[in-house]
Amino acid sequence: MKNISPVVELIDVSKRFGKITAVGNVNFSLSKGAVLTILGPSGCGKTTLLRMIAGFESPTTGKIRINGKPVQAVPPYRRSIGMVFQNLALFPHMTAGENIAYPLKMRRFPPQDIPELVERYLGIVRLTGMEDRRIHQLSGGQQQRVAIARALSFNPDLLLLDEPLSALDKKLREEMQLEFRRIQQKIGVTTINVTHDQREALVMSDEIIVMADGVIQQSADPVSLYRQPSNKFVASFIGLTSLMKGTVDQIEGTTVKFNVNTTSLWGQTSSKFHIGESVEGAIRAEQVRVHTEQTRPVGMDNVLDGVVEEQIFEGDRMVYQIRCPALDSAPIFVFDHDPAHNVLHRRGDRVVLSWNIRDLLVYPD
Amino acid sequence: MSGFNDRVGTPLASAKQSSQFPVRWRILDAAERIAALIWPRSLYPYTGYLLLVPALLLVFVLVIGLVYIGGYSLHELDLSNYRLKESFSLTNYYTAFTSATYRTVLLRSIYASLLVTVITIFLAFPYAYLMVRARRAMTRKFLLISLFLPFFIGQIVRAYGWLIILGKEGLLNNIIGFFGFSPLKLIYNYPAVILGLVQYMLPFGVLLLAPAITAISRDVELASESLGAHWCRTFIHIVLPLAKPGLVGSSVVIFTLTLTDFAMPEILGGGTTDFIANSIYDGFFQLSNSGLGAALSMILVTLGTAFVVVIFSIAGTGTLGFSKGAE
Ligand SMILES: Nc1ncnc2c1ncn2[C@@H]1O[C@H](COP(=O)(O)OP(=O)(O)OP(=O)(O)O)[C@@H](O)[C@H]1O
Ligand SMILES: [Mg+2]
Repeated sequence: MKNISPVVELIDVSKRFGKITAVGNVNFSLSKGAVLTILGPSGCGKTTLLRMIAGFESPTTGKIRINGKPVQAVPPYRRSIGMVFQNLALFPHMTAGENIAYPLKMRRFPPQDIPELVERYLGIVRLTGMEDRRIHQLSGGQQQRVAIARALSFNPDLLLLDEPLSALDKKLREEMQLEFRRIQQKIGVTTINVTHDQREALVMSDEIIVMADGVIQQSADPVSLYRQPSNKFVASFIGLTSLMKGTVDQIEGTTVKFNVNTTSLWGQTSSKFHIGESVEGAIRAEQVRVHTEQTRPVGMDNVLDGVVEEQIFEGDRMVYQIRCPALDSAPIFVFDHDPAHNVLHRRGDRVVLSWNIRDLLVYPD
Repeated sequence: MSGFNDRVGTPLASAKQSSQFPVRWRILDAAERIAALIWPRSLYPYTGYLLLVPALLLVFVLVIGLVYIGGYSLHELDLSNYRLKESFSLTNYYTAFTSATYRTVLLRSIYASLLVTVITIFLAFPYAYLMVRARRAMTRKFLLISLFLPFFIGQIVRAYGWLIILGKEGLLNNIIGFFGFSPLKLIYNYPAVILGLVQYMLPFGVLLLAPAITAISRDVELASESLGAHWCRTFIHIVLPLAKPGLVGSSVVIFTLTLTDFAMPEILGGGTTDFIANSIYDGFFQLSNSGLGAALSMILVTLGTAFVVVIFSIAGTGTLGFSKGAE
């Protein structure tokens, strides 16, 4: 079992369109059965990356290997890859069943096995009995399932998902994320999923790659990615993060003191700084505590005064947007999960914020 | 969110400020007010029918003409005074169907129309496909302009152009002669007419196919490819069926245009390859037998209509996009 080659391997892959570098020096490999999510803002090169793996584009430089074999010369129809497109790309002139049977026919599965396989995959995506429906007679979520079944029915080595859930409404999208997780675990297919939805990435993946401007920013499992973002971009892209700019004043191991105007803040870092370097601190909304003047915390490392600027009720939590005069930059976001909302802070109320040193992450500016 | 309510002006407030609106808005508003006077709100449900009226009038005029022609066709020519007889008879139709000449012309027209339709679609499809799918905007523009250029020239001039190239003393025969071959008879025959017609119909074919191909998402083709079909199978199983509306529409147009064509058989056929329209012309103006010409016209209209009806009943009118998503 050792030495088994990864299902996909990208080595220094770049793609340029004229002067635009859509993908720059991407390296990663994925072992059998794993789910990788490529997460990044719109236009960062996610689709381009998937299209190269599927064989619709060839890399400008670099190599792609599938099951250990280089695939430059292998056309898409010879690659064993199921792809679910951003717009699904179902065949409108065929029924759901015919869509699922299409790859089986094209790949010359024994004709007598095809009906059974179609039946089986319809069952897996919970569409039993809808075989004869035309595509336009199915709901958005059902079409989604047909697209997934079509991409899986021929038992591909690799499944590529190009934001297929992005067109669905929030509730259905979250349902489909769990649904997909279930199907993936049942079939065990190696998967690359692309999204700009951080929640989807965290829910669905074993590993996440964060991309920006065609370059990988960080590659880690969901928990480490969330807890230890390796740079400012990742920190601000995932979760609700507030940023504060300052200059380094004092360094003690991995603990850094930096000044924002006249205020001193303590934070944690993994980078090497020198005194006077400009840095940026990042704090997640759930790590900040809100207090009133009466309950002003004592002995906390970072304490700031502020005024409530906006109060947003999200049902399961309250989000406060708080302006701290000492920071004079962007406001700080705070989640309050208190189920009873015993202490409500209203717009214009004076409040006190605090957080732990280890939660304020300091990055080079 | 704050101040949301303050920002929304009441209609009254905005009416006061209407002088500040751009001129174009004010003109449009005035036009709307005038329209409301002429065609009040309560008549809105009938707006669609109102807009149909001009087109219906045109069709109606056509129908009147057809009724008159239908009338002519039922009167035999009186050879004593070259007028149509008063009495009704089916003699003209009898002549049209029994005379070997007209039967040949009829069959030739139908056969040629089928041939031209098939050849044109074969040539137009790849052209339209490339024009729609070309990656470079330059390529697309070049293909589009080359397509439109012949439109500016007109059918007669184009036919004459073919004469210059293919004629006895034409360009091609000059080249052949230069290599010591005896000149070939390239015009005044069937292939020359077909060639001229195909060239004439090609732009119609491409223009009618292009929207159908545009409507096929590129991703659908790629999906087919990644599901295991190379382009050849993708073409047969995906592109062709999805392009059906365009194929049906362009076939109908090309077939009917060819069936009724006059200039190409006249100029490039030189009397050897008459179509129905040429016979009709002869009937009316050479033989002065308007009864026979009218009968041939009625046969032509019936043929064309029958073809369209048959095609649409096979393919369904849904293929024209009348009812989206229908079978
Ligand atoms: N065929 C092309 N020609 C030129 N530029 C292209 C082409 N395809 C993509 N690009 C550019 O490459 C970059 C990456 O595009 P890509 O489609 O991969 O983004 P994406 O991450 O999938 O975005 P989204 O989340 O919006 O789908 C963009 O800047 C885009 O403009
Ligand atoms: Mg994309």
